[in-house]
Amino acid sequence: MSAFLFYLFATLTLGSALLVVLNRNAVSSAMSLFLAFIGMAGLFVLLEAYFLALQVMVYAGAVVVIFVFIVMLLDVDKLPRQRIDKLSKGAATIAFALMVTGVLWLFHKDQFTGPALPAEATGAVLKTYGRQLFTTYLLPMQVTGFLLLIAMIGVIVISKRTPAATAASGK
Amino acid sequence: MTPEIKALHDIAVSNYWPALAPEIGLGVVALALLALELLLPKRQLATVIPRVAILGFVAALAWTLRDWSAVWLGHELFGGLVRQTTDSQIMRVFFLVASLLVSFIATIVLPKQKAPRVEFFHVLLVATGALMLLAQSNHFVLLFVALETVTVAFYILVSYFRASPLSLEAGLKYLVMGSLSSALLLFGIVLLYGIAGNPLLAGHTAQSMNFAALGEFLRHNPDEPLALVGAALVLSGIAFKIGAVPFQIWVPDVYQGAPTPVTAFLAVSSKAAGFALLLILVRGPFLPLAQVTLPLLSIFAALSLLFGNLAALPQRNVKRLMGLSGVSHAGFLLVGVVASIARTDAVSWAPAAVYFYLFTYLLGAMAVFGVMAHVAGDADADQDFRHYAGLARKSPLLGAVLACGIGSLAGIPPLAGFIGKLLIFVAAFHARLWILLGVAIVAVVVSIYYYFGWMRAAFYEEAPPSPERAAVVPLHLGVAASLTLVSLALATVLLGVYQGPFGQWIATR
Repeated sequence: MSAFLFYLFATLTLGSALLVVLNRNAVSSAMSLFLAFIGMAGLFVLLEAYFLALQVMVYAGAVVVIFVFIVMLLDVDKLPRQRIDKLSKGAATIAFALMVTGVLWLFHKDQFTGPALPAEATGAVLKTYGRQLFTTYLLPMQVTGFLLLIAMIGVIVISKRTPAATAASGK
Repeated sequence: MTPEIKALHDIAVSNYWPALAPEIGLGVVALALLALELLLPKRQLATVIPRVAILGFVAALAWTLRDWSAVWLGHELFGGLVRQTTDSQIMRVFFLVASLLVSFIATIVLPKQKAPRVEFFHVLLVATGALMLLAQSNHFVLLFVALETVTVAFYILVSYFRASPLSLEAGLKYLVMGSLSSALLLFGIVLLYGIAGNPLLAGHTAQSMNFAALGEFLRHNPDEPLALVGAALVLSGIAFKIGAVPFQIWVPDVYQGAPTPVTAFLAVSSKAAGFALLLILVRGPFLPLAQVTLPLLSIFAALSLLFGNLAALPQRNVKRLMGLSGVSHAGFLLVGVVASIARTDAVSWAPAAVYFYLFTYLLGAMAVFGVMAHVAGDADADQDFRHYAGLARKSPLLGAVLACGIGSLAGIPPLAGFIGKLLIFVAAFHARLWILLGVAIVAVVVSIYYYFGWMRAAFYEEAPPSPERAAVVPLHLGVAASLTLVSLALATVLLGVYQGPFGQWIATR
C-alpha cells in the first residue's frame, strides 16, 4: 500500500514539476506548482514527518497565492516562446548529465540504507519540536523575532513616500 | 525532582543570559528608539536619536570590556549554541567600535539626503547585535539565524536612499546575490547535518549542528564525499559575504549604490564577520578536512589578490575603488587564514595576525569613509577622484586624515596597515606558502598605484576653476567630527609604531 502511495505521490510531484516548466500560461504554471507541493507533502507524510508535511502545505498555499497575485498584477497572458541559444543548451545538458551521474553514484555506493532514526530525536514530532523551540533553541528563536521586526520596518522604510522621495520622483 | 523538571533546570542553568548582556542591551536600545520616535516632538528627533544610539553602543562596549575575561569563557553556553572565547571577545569589541564609527558617518550623510533616521539606527543596532552573536556562535542554527538577520539588515540598509535609483539597484543586486549565498550556505549545512547524523558511520551524532560534535564526526570520516561537498558549500557561502573571488561579482555595484555609511559597514563589519566565521569553522570543525579547505581557500586568496588589485587600477569612482580594493584586502586576510591551518603548530599566532589586520583595516577604512562622507555632495553614489582635486588646500585636516587612511590601507611603513601586512607575510613565510606570498607582494606593489592616484588628486591637482560642487560642499566640519577623524588618524599612526597589549597577545599565542 505504502509503495503504491509513494509511486502515486512521486509521479504527481515530478509530473506537475515538469508542467511548471513546460506550461506557457503563467497561471497554469503556478497551479502546477501547487500540485507539486501537494505531492511533496504526501511524500513527507509517508516518511512520518507530519510537521514537515504541514509546513510544505502551508508553503504551497501561501506562496502560490502570492505567485498568482503577481501574475495578475503583471498581467502576463501567454509568454512568447523564447529561443534558447546553443551555449545554454549545451551547458544545461552537461549540468543535467553531471547531476544524474552524481545521484546514480550515490545510490550505487548505497549511502541511503540503514536503520531509521527515531522520530523523537529528529524533532519531526510536533510536540518535541515545540518543546525544543522554547527551551534549547530559545536564543535563536528570539533572534528570529528581531529578524522579522527589521524585515517589517525595512519594507515600510523602503516603500513609504518621504518628502525627499516625492520631490525626486516628481522631477 | 522528576527527570522532566531536571531537564528544564539544566536548560535554565545553561541559558546564562548575562553572558549576552551587550547584545540584549543593543536590542533593547533598538526597541527604545522606536518608542522615542512616538513620544518625542519631531524637532528633537534629529539630534536625540543618533545620540541615544551612540550611547547604546558605548554602554555595550563598556559592558563587553567589563566581562573581558569572564569565568564562562571557553565553556559552552545555551546548550552548546554559544561559546565565548578571547577571539570572540575581540570580535565583539571590533563590531561595536565599527558600528560606533558607522553611526558617526551616518550623522554626517543622513541629513544631506533628508533620509529618515530612526529606522537606520534601529536596523544598525539590531545588525550589530546579530554580528556579535555570529562571532560567538558554536552551532549552525544560531550561526544561520544570526547571519540571516545581518543579511536582511543589509538588504534594507543598502537600498536605504530609495530616492536614488542606484541605491535601489544596489539593494536589488544585493538581495539576489545574498539570497543565493544564503542558499549555498544552507545547502552545505543541511548536507553536513544529514551525513553527520547517519547512524552507519563512525562517530555519528544526534547533535550534528554543534561544532564540537561535528568536528568529532569529521575526525572519524575525513574522506566522506557528502561532508566535503557540504563544507565546500558552507565556505562558498561565507566567501560571498567577504567578497572573495569568484564570489565578488556584486561588490562594485553594491558598494557604489549603497549610502556611504552602509558602504563602510559592508566593507568593515560584513567582511570581518565572514573572517570571524571562517576562523571558527576552518580551525574548529573543518580542521580534519584541511586537504580540501586548504587548496580551496588558497585559490580564493590568490584570485582575490590578483583580481581585486587589477580591477581597481582603472577605477575613478572612490566607492567602487574601496569595494575592489576591499576584495584584495580579503585576499590578504585569506592568506592569514590559510597560514593558520597550513601548519597549526608553527604559526599558532596566525589568527591573531588576522584580527590585527582587521583592526588596522577598520581604522584606515573608517578614516577614509569619514572623509568621503564630508566630501560627498548631493549625489551619494557619484564620488569621483575629480571631487577630491584641491582637497588638501581647501581643508588640510581632511587631507591629512585621508593621507593617513589611504597610506594605512596601502601599507606604507610607519602606519598600522604596514604592520598588519607584515604580520600576515611573516605568518605565510613560516607556513611555507611561497606562491601565495609572492602573489601578495605583487599585489601590494600594484595597490600602491591606485591608492596614490587618489592621493595625487587630493594633494597635487588643482580644483577646477568653476567646480560644479564648490557651492554644494562647503566642507564644514563640526568639533565632534574633527575630533573623531583626528583620533582615527592618530590611532592609525600609533598602532603602526606601538602595538602594546595587542602585540603582546599576538606574541604569546
